[in-house]
Amino acid sequence: MDVSMLQRTYSDLLTSLFREGILNQQFTELQQLQDENNPGFVFEVVSLFFEDSGRLINELISNFNQQAVDYKKIDAYVHQLKGSSASIGAEKIRSVCQTFREYYDKNDIQGCYNCIQPLNQEFVTFKSKLEALFTLEQQIVAAGGSIPMMRH
Amino acid sequence: MELELELTKEKQVEVLEVETEIRVLVVDDSPIDRKIVEGLLKRNGNGCIKVIAVDSGTKAMELLQLNKQKAEPESPASNEIKIDIILTDYFMPEMTGYDLLKAVKNFSRTIPVVIMSSENEPQRIRRCKADGAEDFILKPLQTNDVQKLRNYANKSTKPSELKSGIKRKISQLDLASAMNIAERKRHLSRVVMVLKSSSFDISPYFPLACKLVLLFYAMLCLSQLLQR
Repeated sequence: MDVSMLQRTYSDLLTSLFREGILNQQFTELQQLQDENNPGFVFEVVSLFFEDSGRLINELISNFNQQAVDYKKIDAYVHQLKGSSASIGAEKIRSVCQTFREYYDKNDIQGCYNCIQPLNQEFVTFKSKLEALFTLEQQIVAAGGSIPMMRH
Repeated sequence: MELELELTKEKQVEVLEVETEIRVLVVDDSPIDRKIVEGLLKRNGNGCIKVIAVDSGTKAMELLQLNKQKAEPESPASNEIKIDIILTDYFMPEMTGYDLLKAVKNFSRTIPVVIMSSENEPQRIRRCKADGAEDFILKPLQTNDVQKLRNYANKSTKPSELKSGIKRKISQLDLASAMNIAERKRHLSRVVMVLKSSSFDISPYFPLACKLVLLFYAMLCLSQLLQR
C-alpha cells in the first residue's frame, strides 16, 4: 500500500470514529498536545487507558458475579472509568458509565447490571479501532509519510 | 562597550527566567489524568512550568512535609521541595482533594490549592472555595485553565520573596552598571595617563590656542565673503 492510500485509510477511519460517536472533541485536544517534544503522547495516554480500563472492567464483571455484590465498590470503579474515558474522549464508554450511574442513583440494580455487558462491548470496540489507528500511523511513518491532521 | 551591554542584557534575562518558573504539584489517583494534566501544563507553560505528580493526598503531604509537626511552621526545612501551586483531583480514595485542601490551609501554608473534578456540583464547589480553594476547575482541563493556574501561582508569591527577588534583580543590574562605569573610568584614566605622560604640557597654552582657533575661523569666513 502506498503512502497516500494509507493516509486516506487513516483519515477515513478517524472520521468514522468521530461520526459514530466513539471519539469526541477531547481526543482532538489530546492530539494537539502531541508535538516533536512529546511525539508518542497520544499513544502513551491511550495505552494507559487500555491497561487501566481493562483492569477496571474485569473487576466490575468479577464483582457482579459474586454472591454479595458490593455496589459501592462497583460505583467507585465506574466513576473512575467515566473520568478516564471523558479525559481521552472515549465518548461511548463515558456515556454508558453515565447511564450506569443514573441507575445507581435510583437504586435500580437491574439497570446497573444491564450496563455491564454494553460497557465491555464498547471497550472492546474502542480498543480494536484505536489499535488499528495506531497501526496505520506506524505504517505511514515507516513509509516516510506524515499523519493527516483532522480539522473540525 | 557593546559587549558589556550584551552581558548586562543576558544577566537581566537570566534573573527573569529563574524567577518565573512555576512548580506545580499535581495530585490525582488516575494515571491517565496525571499524564494528560502534565502534558497540558508543559505544552502551554512556555518552558516555565515544572510538574511534580503524585497519586494520593498522603504522598502530597509527605512531599510538602506537612506530616511532620514543626515548632516553627514558617522556618524552611532543609530538604523541603518548594511548591508554587497544588492542583488536586477532588475524588480520591482515602484522602479526598478537599481533605488535602484543609490540611494545607491548616498549616498556614500560603500555597494556592486548585481543585479539579469531573462532576459539576455547586454545593461541593462552594464548600471548597469557602475553605480556601483558589478555584474549582471541571475536568477535562483545557488550555485556558493553564493561564488561570499561572496567575494563581504568581499572585501568591509572598511579599518577602518578591522583595528579595527584586533586590536580587536590582543588585544584579547595579553590579552590571557598576561594572560598566568602572570600565569607563579605567578607560578614561588610561587616556588621562597618556596625556599626562607626554612631555608637552598643554595647560598654559590653552587660552592662546582658543584665540588662534577663533582667528582662523574668522579669516575663513572673511575669505568666503570676499570670494562672493
